[in-house]
Amino acid sequence: MKLEMSNIAFTRLQRECKEVVTNTEIAQTGIMIEILNESLTDIKGQIRGPPDTPYAGGLFDLEIKIPDSYPFSPPKIKFVTKIWHPNVSSQTGVICLDILKDQWAASLTLRTVLLSIQALMCSPEPKDPQDAVVAKQYMENPALFKSTAEFWTVRFARGKSGENEDYKSRVEKLRDMGVREEEAISVLSCNNWDLNKATVYIFS
Amino acid sequence: MEQKSEEPSSSSNENKKEEDSARFECNICLDTAKDAVVSMCGHLFCWPCLSQWLETRPERQLCPVCKSAIDSSKVVPIYGRGGDSTDPRKKIPPRPKGQRTEAPPQSFPGFQWGGGDGVGGGNVHFSFGIGIFPLSFVASWFNTPIAGFGANFGGGNENQQQQQNQPGTSAAPGSHQYQEEEYLANIFKYIGIFMLIWLLFV
Repeated sequence: MKLEMSNIAFTRLQRECKEVVTNTEIAQTGIMIEILNESLTDIKGQIRGPPDTPYAGGLFDLEIKIPDSYPFSPPKIKFVTKIWHPNVSSQTGVICLDILKDQWAASLTLRTVLLSIQALMCSPEPKDPQDAVVAKQYMENPALFKSTAEFWTVRFARGKSGENEDYKSRVEKLRDMGVREEEAISVLSCNNWDLNKATVYIFS
Repeated sequence: MEQKSEEPSSSSNENKKEEDSARFECNICLDTAKDAVVSMCGHLFCWPCLSQWLETRPERQLCPVCKSAIDSSKVVPIYGRGGDSTDPRKKIPPRPKGQRTEAPPQSFPGFQWGGGDGVGGGNVHFSFGIGIFPLSFVASWFNTPIAGFGANFGGGNENQQQQQNQPGTSAAPGSHQYQEEEYLANIFKYIGIFMLIWLLFV
C-alpha cells in the first residue's frame, strides 16, 4: 500500500513539475519551482512579489517538502527568504495558511498552492496571524508596516527599489555594536524602529 | 504522456489531444481516471484515489475539488467501452455499484404470482385479490426467505440466490435489514394463517 501511495505521489509530482516548468503562462504569474532531488521530496519554490505590494520586485524562495502521503496530506511549505508579513513568522518563515493545514484538498497542486501564497502576500489576514508582532504593527501602524516590509524586501528578497536611508543608518548603528545584520533588522522591526528600545532589548 | 509517443505528428494536434485527455483526468492523481467514479457534484476521480482521500479524513467527507459533502455510497461509477481486464471488485474497498431502477412490472393488480422474479425488491410478497385470494396467498407463502420452506418447493432456493446477486434488490444475508425483512415476512405469514382460520370457522 505504501509503495502504491508514493507511486501516486511520484507520478503526480512529475506532472505537476512539468506543468509549472514548461507552461509560460504560469511563468508570467511569477511562480517557479526547481527540483532538488530525484525522489521529488525536496523542491524549491520561488514567488515573485506581487506588484502594488511592499513585496513588489522581490524574489521569495520557499522550501517545499513532500510527505509520503502526498497528495492526501499537504506539502510542507515555508519561506526561506525572510519576509515581513502578518501570516508568516519573521523568525522561521512558517506560513499560516488554511489550505496548508486542515483545509488541504487533494485536488490542489504545487501551482495552486504557490498562487495562494502569492495571494496571501497581496492580502494579509491579521486576524489569524502567524507572527503576532507583525500583525499588531499591520493593524496599528499600516504606514510603518509598509515601509518595514519594503525594507525587508530590499534587504532579503533582492528587491531593487531604493532603501530607506533612515532605517539603514539605524541598522548600521546596531551593527557597529557587534549585532548581526539579520538580528539588527529583526529587532528594530519588532520595536517599530525605535533604536533605544532595540538596544535595550538586545543588551539586557 | 502516452499519447505523445503514439502521435508524433504536429504539435498543435498533440496539444489538442493532451487537452482532450485532461478532461478525463482524475482530480487527485492527475492521471487518466481508472475505475472512474463521478461525485454528485460532478467531479471525476479514480475510485482508489477517492476512497483513499475519504479514508484519510473520515470526519470531513468533502469533495477535494469543490468541498461539497460527498458520500462514497452516492458516487456514480463510469463504465466506458474499454476498460482494464482486472476485476475492480478485487480492489479494496470495492467500487460502489451503479444504481439501477427496474422498469415497472407489467401485471394486473390483484394477480401476482409470488414465485416470480421478485419485481419490487423485497422477499415479502403478500397480495390480496378477492377472486383468487387463496391461490395468491399460498404462492407468496412459498416465497418466504426461510430456506427450509423454499428448498421444498421447486427452485425456491435458487430464486433466492439470484436475487442476492442482483445489485440493490435484496439485503445481504446476515445483515440487519435481512433480519428485519425475515421478521416482517413471518408476521405477515401468521396474520395470513389467522385470517384463513377466521374465514373458515366464522
